[in-house]
Amino acid sequence: MSTTPIYERRPTGPRYHDFLARHAQVLSIAAFFLLMVVLFSLNTNAFLSQANLLNLLRQSAPLIIVAVAMTFVITTGGIDLSVGSTVALVNALVAIALQAGVPWPLAVLAMLVLGGLVGLLQGWFVAREGIPAFIVTLAGLSILRGVALLLTQGFSIPIASDNWFVQIGRGWFLGLPFPAILAVLVMAAGALALSSTRFGRYVTAIGANAEAARRAGIGVQGVTMAVYVLTGIAAALAGIVIAARLGSGSSNAAVGFELDVIAAVVLGGTSLMGGRGSILGTCLGALTIAVIGNGLILAHISPFFTQIVTGLIILAAIWLNTKVFRGGRRR
Amino acid sequence: MTEGINQAAAAAAATPRVRLEGIRKQFGSIQALRGVDLDLMPGEVLGLVGDNAAGKSTLTKVISGAYVPDEGRILVDGQAAGYTTPAEARAIGIEMVYQDLSLCDTIDVAGNLFLGREPRRSVLGLKLLDRQRMREEARRNLDALDIHVPSLDAYVEQLSGGQRQSIAIARAAAFAPRVLIMDEPTSALAVAEVEAVLRLIRRLAEGGTSIILITHRLQDLFRVCDRIVVMYEGTKVAERRIGETDLEDLVGLIVGGKAEKLKGHA
Repeated sequence: MSTTPIYERRPTGPRYHDFLARHAQVLSIAAFFLLMVVLFSLNTNAFLSQANLLNLLRQSAPLIIVAVAMTFVITTGGIDLSVGSTVALVNALVAIALQAGVPWPLAVLAMLVLGGLVGLLQGWFVAREGIPAFIVTLAGLSILRGVALLLTQGFSIPIASDNWFVQIGRGWFLGLPFPAILAVLVMAAGALALSSTRFGRYVTAIGANAEAARRAGIGVQGVTMAVYVLTGIAAALAGIVIAARLGSGSSNAAVGFELDVIAAVVLGGTSLMGGRGSILGTCLGALTIAVIGNGLILAHISPFFTQIVTGLIILAAIWLNTKVFRGGRRR
Repeated sequence: MTEGINQAAAAAAATPRVRLEGIRKQFGSIQALRGVDLDLMPGEVLGLVGDNAAGKSTLTKVISGAYVPDEGRILVDGQAAGYTTPAEARAIGIEMVYQDLSLCDTIDVAGNLFLGREPRRSVLGLKLLDRQRMREEARRNLDALDIHVPSLDAYVEQLSGGQRQSIAIARAAAFAPRVLIMDEPTSALAVAEVEAVLRLIRRLAEGGTSIILITHRLQDLFRVCDRIVVMYEGTKVAERRIGETDLEDLVGLIVGGKAEKLKGHA
């Protein structure tokens, strides 16, 4: 009756299952992105034209730049709501500085330092004082925008178009808009840093299990502060690019920008709970948001639909992801 | 035979690897540790037992740097040790396997083994993670411990409880620690895996590592320990060389005042 029991290692399923589960979010946003591109290509004549695509890249550069930095913050399990206000403050201040005759390289450098200091201060409250990032950067959102309004009294400040500064937003290099080149550089640096350096590894570790990271001897507070410095500098760079492109500085720039940035990051598969981040996903998310805005205008659909469609896509994408992901995870 | 080696080692180095003097630790009104003295010799395996809340975990966290004692001194190799964080304790060779494992779920197996000390290689002046070396050394470490994982690239969240525990142990043991503290290292392990951990403990001790083992599996203590310390209500109530005690004696020491009642039932 009884048979000899057979001991053999259970076979492992095909490796591509792991690949699909791990990259489901990036793959799904890539599919969304391609779908949008195909839809708008079929519905409008202008969408696929070279001029429009280059313009799209130029316009989405600030979003990509800040979203890359925001990916680091969100991967630690934090959030930075102040980036839009930092953009506005830098946008206004750089115009004021140039109007006062400050040489543009000095003005640019000063703005990047200012952005870094804003990030350092917020990072200090989050990392050292343990105040939730949502609260700290919500305060930052309010304060920084207020400072920008106070400095400009709400007026827009022109930048002379013969100043070389405007080339940062309008110039061309190797046949590409200069802001697009900046965005690609930031993206490449961000992707390398997150996936292949100790810093990126520690960012992920903090988001996954901060106490484990501390016990492993990782300088959790220093790394946490550093990611807010990154968003501060990235927001300053975005503020400079926007001021240069529009040829003016305004305290009303980038209202609601932080939400587009966070939407791009989340669409790209970075987890708001921390521990999981993808720069490639973030860039696809940012481009998807940009393509929707651009395509709806070209299709003569009310641009007010942009926000509705963006919101629906976020909800649909995240909903699909949670469904897809349930399979591969134990806890 | 192993006992002979250990006695020789102990005689050669009479200075304890770790000496605790009058350690006190209070959490609010609770006196977790009420003045504990303890010596841990080089190459010694010390079993730490006691009822729940006897102070075992608190004591080991003091040694690992996770807690700073309110009073008392820690001497390492006869020198007063001033570490106040796990990182500083780790720097002088004190490793701990925590009961909660302290793993990062969204990092792969090799990455968890090297967390906080990733090897790097220089590419065009940039210092990047050396994934190949991490994977090779991780493979070697896990093979040495008889630990099987489906893939070194698997995220830790994909693994079973036993596999996760094995990886936490491998991480602490991999870097030739001088003191290794294990808080319930075998609670989630299967029979074969427990055997591998007990073998590992003996092997490390023969290499000179001092080990503190907390476990509720008393039968394991008799297989690997040189000495057993019993804690009760925040104090050390008894110390026994392994040859001088047996299971019944140990159970009596652990339950303390309740021992008489238990005997009455038997």
